Amino acid sequence: MNGHLQADELLMIVAIASYIVGALALLAYFFTHEAWLRNLGVPLAVVGCVAQFAQLFVRWELTGIWPLLNLYGSLSLFAAMSVAIFLVMAWRYKAWYAGGFVLALAAIALAYGVTWNEGTMPAVPSLQSYWAKIHVPIVVSSYAAFLVAFVFSVIYLIKYYAEARIAAASGTVELAGTGMTMKISGDTPALAAAAANGNATAQWLQTLPSLAQLDVIVYRAVAIGLPLISIGIITGAAWAKEAWGAYWQWDPKETAALSTWIVYLAFMHLHTRNAWRGLRTNWVSVAGFMLVIFTYLGVNIWISGLHSYKV
Amino acid sequence: MVQKLDDYYADFVRTFGSVLFAVSLFVVWGLLTLIGVIVDQGKDPSIYFGSYPAPIARAILRLSFDNIYHSPWYVGIIGLILLSLTVCTFKRVIPARLPPLRPVTIDRIPLHASFELNGDESSVRARVESFFRKRGWQLRERTFDGTEWTFADKFNWARRGVLVAHIGFVIIAAGTTLYWARGFSGDTVVVTGQSVEIPQTKMILHLDNFAYTITPVMTKGGMVYQPTDYVSHVTVTGNDGVPKAMTVRVNHPIDVDKTLYYQASYGFAMRFHVAHNGTDVPALSQRVLLEGESFDVPGTRLAVSYDRFVPTVDRASGMPSADPRVNDPAVILSVANGGVDEGSALVPLHTWVDLGGGWRIVPDRCLLYSGFQYRYDPGIPLVGIGALVLVAGLLISFYFLPARLYARVDPGPGGRCTVGMAATTVKGYDMFESQFRGLVAEFSAEAQ
Repeated sequence: MNGHLQADELLMIVAIASYIVGALALLAYFFTHEAWLRNLGVPLAVVGCVAQFAQLFVRWELTGIWPLLNLYGSLSLFAAMSVAIFLVMAWRYKAWYAGGFVLALAAIALAYGVTWNEGTMPAVPSLQSYWAKIHVPIVVSSYAAFLVAFVFSVIYLIKYYAEARIAAASGTVELAGTGMTMKISGDTPALAAAAANGNATAQWLQTLPSLAQLDVIVYRAVAIGLPLISIGIITGAAWAKEAWGAYWQWDPKETAALSTWIVYLAFMHLHTRNAWRGLRTNWVSVAGFMLVIFTYLGVNIWISGLHSYKV
Repeated sequence: MVQKLDDYYADFVRTFGSVLFAVSLFVVWGLLTLIGVIVDQGKDPSIYFGSYPAPIARAILRLSFDNIYHSPWYVGIIGLILLSLTVCTFKRVIPARLPPLRPVTIDRIPLHASFELNGDESSVRARVESFFRKRGWQLRERTFDGTEWTFADKFNWARRGVLVAHIGFVIIAAGTTLYWARGFSGDTVVVTGQSVEIPQTKMILHLDNFAYTITPVMTKGGMVYQPTDYVSHVTVTGNDGVPKAMTVRVNHPIDVDKTLYYQASYGFAMRFHVAHNGTDVPALSQRVLLEGESFDVPGTRLAVSYDRFVPTVDRASGMPSADPRVNDPAVILSVANGGVDEGSALVPLHTWVDLGGGWRIVPDRCLLYSGFQYRYDPGIPLVGIGALVLVAGLLISFYFLPARLYARVDPGPGGRCTVGMAATTVKGYDMFESQFRGLVAEFSAEAQ
């Protein structure tokens, strides 16, 4: 038993260490675009992610208790899924530059989760349900997708405001558009001109994808998270129906999740409008993630209710 | 008059059919929901005055924020959202079918490309059509002013995704309404060995016994007494009049005549031996009190309240212990005289308490009781179907991007043709840019 527990803790240490070193490497890559930093950070992200899933499995195997029934376990899955979703999206969109932020947030979530580790606890009767194996991973995965969307939104906003400053300084506001295929997602001429003139910030901004491309990635991440949180709310309602007799009880966790769902629903509706797509929807994405944090942690910790499983 | 009504109707449709108006309603809905998360719901007004400054507490009560989910604001905003959803569905979603086949100015569409290819017009057109057909695009040709256009569509059916999601939302609302109209719910408490009749169904619920399991666990923060099982063994007599033995656990409700019964709570009922001048008072001694219940002492202004059962008293401190297992039980009794609280005491079981005037009571026997919730909800299948339809609509909307490609072939000099190509989608150009680039690159390589 102790040997298993040691394996569990060892895997956790490997994950946290991988995330911290990986985050540093990929943050440095974000600023320098040195390929060796990416080549160091990405494998570390993979190692940390695999170690985390292994740790959750080992914990389940040795205790026989589904490991996601407390904040320690669910934050662990949150960190692992954030990294996993990021890895898939980064591979798909060549977006490794964002990895430092994702890994740093994953490491913080994991380290915070460890502070909630009270050891092995049998599940209370309401949590002894097959729904725990369906509802919890889905909801946590939706939060992870929203974390990835948040990171790309922050990068979008950084680039947007930096570009706006450069454009304001040069007095240019125009979108690029040249070539065989009109390049609708290119950088602004002001940015290109500033970079050509040796402006270091502009040169660095040019290493990032265009705002339109960042916006598409944010949309894709929200498009993962919104159906997941919808399914999560539905499965949670089905579980509540089975456990308490009502699929909706206006419990703080339920209603906070509903608020989160509404914000991302608003995001998707706004994204259909040209005038709102981009800057405004990315602010909505940032606000949405703040609400995710409140729903996930704030409600569990500060507000008592049916979901107050703090340990 | 008619003109004025028409104007009002047009204004109504314009407002409620606007996406930004719908989003504004979402924002209000989200804010009201958040208020309900932050402000405790359904509490006594004194709780709010105790928790907030008086002006805020007054505002909470006056604006019904203490019961926000049933307030006119909340019901109203959901009603407005359903109205907006309906208008949007008919004004925007249903009309957004296949866009008409008409020529476009290719260069003015941001996603466009052109190629010079060898071959006559018909062979080049055949190559264009073959290229798209192989990739699953649905092709249509039309001639406008002597120029033949090729229109290629992909995932056109996915334009219905938003409609499907809206329909799912409406089905959920219908299921919820069905419960309000036809369903019922309630809760009841049964003491071991006793029966209750459920008023709505006339079902008889007899509690044979109730058991719970508490597992002490040593954690890093100290000893935790974790409940791990609550189980009620009951005998139910439904519409068929046949008693049936059944077991109710958390997460395992029982179904009797389509009404579900859930394990909800438990506690300790108490029988007190009440004596006056040494003589038993059967009317009081045979009563079983639940926690929170009280009885009046005859001929006096005294009322005795059974506040709480204490499973284990800490022998060292004489105070209630954290251990919820029944080891050294006691009860907390409080006494009021003429409605004025006289204080409370922790009284071990089988210990006499002298109330004065010759009255003495002793907590004599504890009995477990089990709390049940019951619910008949004919709307559940509809809500389930609506939820599935809603998710299907979201998935269709997010993962299948309907796109339209426009292609025209213009003959040029020297046996060559110019192929112009442009693309539009329902989600803007950025979303399709990389795919369009890929198509252009493939076509360029394949058609040369």
